[in-house]
Amino acid sequence: MIARLLVACACVFSWSQLSWGIGTVELPVPSDPTVSFKIWFKVGSQDDPAGKEGLAALTAAMVSDASTLQNSYDKILEKLYPMATGYGASVDKEMTVISGRVHRDHLNAYVKLLSEAILQPAFTAEDFQRHQTNVLNYLDKTLRYSNDEALGKEMLYDAIFANTPYGHPEDGLPASVRSITLDDVKSFYRTHYTAGNVVIGIGGGYDSALVGRLKSELNALPAGAPAPVAKPAPRPPEGIEAVLVDKETQSTAISIGFPISVLRGDRDFYALWIANSWLGEHRNSSSHLYNVIREVRGMNYGDYSYIEYYPNGWAHQFPPPNAPRRQQFFEIWIRPVQNDGAQFALRAAIRELQRLIDKGMSPEDFTLTRKFLKKYVRHYAPTTDLRLGYKLDDAFYGIPDHLQTAEKMFDELTLEDVNRAVRKHLQTANLTIAIVTKNAQALRQALISDAPSPMTYTMPKPPEVLEEDKTIAAYPLKVLPEKVVVVPVDSTFMR
Amino acid sequence: MKQRWVAFALIALYLGIGVAAGAATEKIFPYTYHQTVLENGLTVILIPMESPGIVAYYSVVRTGSRDEYEPGHSGFAHFFEHMMFRGTKSYPGPVYDKLMTEMGADANAFTSSDITCYHLKIATDDLEKVMELESDRFRNLSYAEDAFKTEAGAVHGEYLKSLSSPGFVLHENLLNTAFDQHTYKHTTIGFGRDVEAMPTMYEYSKSFFNRYYRPENVVLLIVGDIKPEPTLALVRKYYSDWQKGYVPPQVPKEPEQTAARRADADFQGRTLPIMAVAYKSLGFDPDNTSLAACLLLGDLAFGETSDIYKKLVIEEQRVQFLSPSFGPSRDPGLVTVYTMVKDTADVAAIEKEIYQTIEYYQANRVDEARLKDLKSNVRYGFLMGLDTPGNVAGGLTSLLAISGNMDVVDRFYATLNQVTTQDIMDAAKTFLAKEKRTVVLVKGR
Repeated sequence: MIARLLVACACVFSWSQLSWGIGTVELPVPSDPTVSFKIWFKVGSQDDPAGKEGLAALTAAMVSDASTLQNSYDKILEKLYPMATGYGASVDKEMTVISGRVHRDHLNAYVKLLSEAILQPAFTAEDFQRHQTNVLNYLDKTLRYSNDEALGKEMLYDAIFANTPYGHPEDGLPASVRSITLDDVKSFYRTHYTAGNVVIGIGGGYDSALVGRLKSELNALPAGAPAPVAKPAPRPPEGIEAVLVDKETQSTAISIGFPISVLRGDRDFYALWIANSWLGEHRNSSSHLYNVIREVRGMNYGDYSYIEYYPNGWAHQFPPPNAPRRQQFFEIWIRPVQNDGAQFALRAAIRELQRLIDKGMSPEDFTLTRKFLKKYVRHYAPTTDLRLGYKLDDAFYGIPDHLQTAEKMFDELTLEDVNRAVRKHLQTANLTIAIVTKNAQALRQALISDAPSPMTYTMPKPPEVLEEDKTIAAYPLKVLPEKVVVVPVDSTFMR
Repeated sequence: MKQRWVAFALIALYLGIGVAAGAATEKIFPYTYHQTVLENGLTVILIPMESPGIVAYYSVVRTGSRDEYEPGHSGFAHFFEHMMFRGTKSYPGPVYDKLMTEMGADANAFTSSDITCYHLKIATDDLEKVMELESDRFRNLSYAEDAFKTEAGAVHGEYLKSLSSPGFVLHENLLNTAFDQHTYKHTTIGFGRDVEAMPTMYEYSKSFFNRYYRPENVVLLIVGDIKPEPTLALVRKYYSDWQKGYVPPQVPKEPEQTAARRADADFQGRTLPIMAVAYKSLGFDPDNTSLAACLLLGDLAFGETSDIYKKLVIEEQRVQFLSPSFGPSRDPGLVTVYTMVKDTADVAAIEKEIYQTIEYYQANRVDEARLKDLKSNVRYGFLMGLDTPGNVAGGLTSLLAISGNMDVVDRFYATLNQVTTQDIMDAAKTFLAKEKRTVVLVKGR
């Protein structure tokens, strides 16, 4: 009886979606000579079937970067070319967005192409082969061999979210991508690219008739929505759990993290934001970790921390939108250090996190950081396109304007609020660590022995730094042998 | 997060500029600008635009790795990008950092072969304070030897990080092979041996600063929510005391290349083979139609709508990517086609396809419609990129570093707009001649 009721509810829900129309997120800016589109499908890599990891990303590519029933792929490129624009898909764990931006002079022609891509993808064997091969080359070669930092981060995410729907790269795994067929893509598209699963995001200098046109066109998608995926429940690390990737490399990339239960919209999120900005503001010399590891000791290029997923950090000064998640994690990113300084850098970062937890922010740091953030947050989304992206994320989290809330919360929150949130949500006893390094076995032994790892410099250092170095070098991490695994780089993601 | 895109405004990205579709005299740059040269030689460009409360503040130093002509000292332009955040006697590094933090400034810098650019996005209210701080560090930078050595360590870390990328290995070998004398021979970060030796060069670093960080060698570009007259008055207040003293670098002239070159390099990891096919170009001249045609040729012949792209990327799928990089440079630099080949055994055949494409453009005129589409692409790419003060300023920095003058923007547009299909064919013959070619192939293990 209960089951029947649920089925009935689901039907009514689908019908109401159709009846009341597809959801929209609008950001009209009449003075903007361009129009931005972000067509959001509530699907992501968490929806990948077991053994077919990478299917959501491959499907999105076959929609956004391939032929339609009306035009071959090269014809689409030709038509977009004089407009100096395009459209593309971003796929994260929970969200797929087909987005693009066009000058008003080309609006009609562009909307036609975009609409055809979403509604009538051709799913040709040639396009499929192109994308599948490109993804495989990326997974086999680029991800593992061309950017140690990206590999380290991906290994960290893989370990934190193991055995959950978040537990694989959005692109999939070499074996799973090889197993995906064109029929898998078609079937995934039919079930996930539906009228009940789409939200139209539009911003800039458009008129309301365009919204009506898009709604009406996208209503041609099949009705209904796929079954929701349960929120991931990652197993928290027990003690220090480290995965060391053994790779012939001249420097060592380190990432540290653990799941946290705070999301945008929570009061504690904004409290943690203030503390985290002080500890590790992304690509900013105000970051305390940056100060300790790079500025004072010259060990590397930068050191940062995060309270939510931050995609492609090396390419962005501010967090790009459209990677929202129901389950977040805390992360420290130590950019590559010389191999013999790896253990010291790791100790320094973890020690600083623990000092923040123990001592809390000082009143001076709190005041300064709050002042910084209140203005800095205004640089997050300077364009219509970015603001629209943030609005979609707000819709995902079901919250009012996140960036405005932040400005307000930065005024409201007290030092006590911040330090309480730090103590509640951050810790150093249970961490996942991913390290890409040369001679990983030796580092494993060093971690297990926990013997001091003194730092040496080619230049004189002030006595207070050398004194502090002694404490850092001996900072106990208490790593148990069974918690450290070494993986040859050739074996990574080969499951 | 995974992202994929079909088509985008390629040209605008590397030309930093677009062409007008209308008459040659039409000015494409849509904002009124105010250019002034102070008595000490500092060029000031002010561009008011609608951007409530936000200002982009760009200090463009017309010095890049090109200016590192003294043997053993490559990498210093980039190194200065780092040192400039170490402060002055009035505002030592930590004080400067704290003030920037209080202002919530989005502050950063970058270096390339022709430019070192310090850029900030700030609140209009903070403009005067920023001007005080920026003028101070450009005049009075001061750092102790220990801080210098520490920063050298960070730069070495950056170099090591780059080495894990096969693209960097390709670029480093390409420049080293293509150039004999000119300083374009080294990458912006410098030769590895020079970067390692940096900690010993404290005295030299001060000489580098004294010669190049002078008002005659700097363009100050301020864009956004500003009023020109009071802003210029502030600039005069804070920058007029800056003493002249620029000593131009003795950059060696590159002898004319007379024979094709090639080099293979190994990458200590896995990668598909990556190849660069490069040709010597000309130094930037906004009125040179032949150069403008060469820069447009790259996209026509090898861009996403070219025949070879359709064949190798879309239909036969023999390459992972094919991408032209035909941009302007202050001195004669390179225009380059990059590709990543899926099968090592196919590399020679792909290289041949590239030469055949060049031969085609040397013997045939491109369709009028394709050239028209390209001009439209450049125009709309440029216009769509002018949406924030930071993007406007960022789009102008390259040309300002190369030329030092705003008027080249409209002049270069006019020249691009006049390019004909005959010019394109002539450029293919002149620029993409076999004897000017350098090919580098990087293979993984």
